[in-house]
Amino acid sequence: MVTALRARLRTIPSWQVTLGAALLVLGFLIAAQLRAEGPLVRYTTQERSPLIETALGLQTSQDALKQQILDLRAQIGQLEDEGPGSDARVKALNDQLQQSRIAAGLIAMSGPGVVFKLADAGGPGGGADQLVSAADIRILVNELWLAGAEAIAVNGERVTASTAVLDIGGSILANSAYLSPPYQIAAIGPVGLYDRMRASPTFVAFVASRVEGEGIGLSVAQLDSVDVPAFAGTVNVRFGQPVGSPVPSP
Amino acid sequence: MTTGLGAIGRGRQLPGGARWAVGLVAVLLGILAVGQLRGQQGVPQLANLSAQELGVLVANLNTQNQQLRDEIATLQRQQADLAAAKNRGESAVEQLDADLARIQAWSGVTGLTGPGVTITVSGPIGADGVDDLLNELRNAGAEGIAIAGIRVVTGVVVSGQPEDLTVAGQGLGAAFEIRAIGSPQILTGTLNRAGGVIALLATTYPQAQVTVTPANGVSLPPTTRGLIPADAHPRL
Repeated sequence: MVTALRARLRTIPSWQVTLGAALLVLGFLIAAQLRAEGPLVRYTTQERSPLIETALGLQTSQDALKQQILDLRAQIGQLEDEGPGSDARVKALNDQLQQSRIAAGLIAMSGPGVVFKLADAGGPGGGADQLVSAADIRILVNELWLAGAEAIAVNGERVTASTAVLDIGGSILANSAYLSPPYQIAAIGPVGLYDRMRASPTFVAFVASRVEGEGIGLSVAQLDSVDVPAFAGTVNVRFGQPVGSPVPSP
Repeated sequence: MTTGLGAIGRGRQLPGGARWAVGLVAVLLGILAVGQLRGQQGVPQLANLSAQELGVLVANLNTQNQQLRDEIATLQRQQADLAAAKNRGESAVEQLDADLARIQAWSGVTGLTGPGVTITVSGPIGADGVDDLLNELRNAGAEGIAIAGIRVVTGVVVSGQPEDLTVAGQGLGAAFEIRAIGSPQILTGTLNRAGGVIALLATTYPQAQVTVTPANGVSLPPTTRGLIPADAHPRL
């Protein structure tokens, strides 16, 4: 019987074998496409569709507004530099402004440092604990500050004194910008930044519980040059009134 | 062994119908493969959010975009003033002073006074719990925050174990006060809302007492921390 089957197979033209294989691949691709359409159909047919479109539109607007702020700040800086009045007071004010902008995080910075990558656990059927949370991001950011970091950004969002990091579904909001995993935390700081972090009990506990315990992906690169972008949000103080002069830095 | 592709490659003739079939399948394969690849790249993470989460996201983005537009208006006024002063051949000392005061107040280099809230915290609470409070204050639009008289600026972090917390190297003791400037109503409402940060802290740290009090006159000291980096330098 096997011999008869082999003989019959030999009589099938090779182009039919090719066509059969191609049809098989076609079948797999159609199935994959239909599965991928599933969530799309789910949210486009319900009330979520306009919300998603609105959110995408607002996010696009936000990116454009932030770019406009960065452009305006650059133009203002240029006008201040070119301004007449080369007297000592104007020059001192311009120098102070530049230092203040650096201190406030309004200037993009470079320097040696580390870049962490945090990714959701890859296993199927994982629950909320297998997703990177805002608390995870805040722990790493705080540990970086404690280890001596001078400038930090999360997925390109500069961390400043006003930055809140919040959970939203399986993603986060930082500076009210919607960020999705994987997350890159870039930090500039002195040599030994990562070594100091590794010696921190909080960082050790984080690795034990979240990375080794829940399977969150954590990788780190120590680099000679890390870029951290400028903060592109608002620096307006509406409720508060400045008091007195700044305290000289130690 | 002769494969089907090999046979086609060597020009063996296929029946007319078969050639059309192979061609059609190849075109379909190409279209589907490209569609699949593009689909994998383009699936937005937003699709994973619930309608409620999307509502929160839209509200956040709306508020933030309005604040960004306000910032743009401020910067455009500043740019116009500087350009006008330049055209008149005058120095722009007033504009520079105003810009400097604005940035220094926001970054914590100068002291700040205004309406806001005072939060008293007592009992055992972890550094993560205090960080949750600070994070929620920032989310509610706090313009400046201080803990136990220490201005919270970039790099100032609460650390340590419950009842042994420190901030910027200073011990916090068994009870301490957090002050924040902003809208008292929004700050109080955000902290105290059902399911909010204080409700969560009551579960995580049941022995800790957290009380929020709106206030019209809250004063924050300037930071004493040096904010000029030593290793980071402006990117050219």
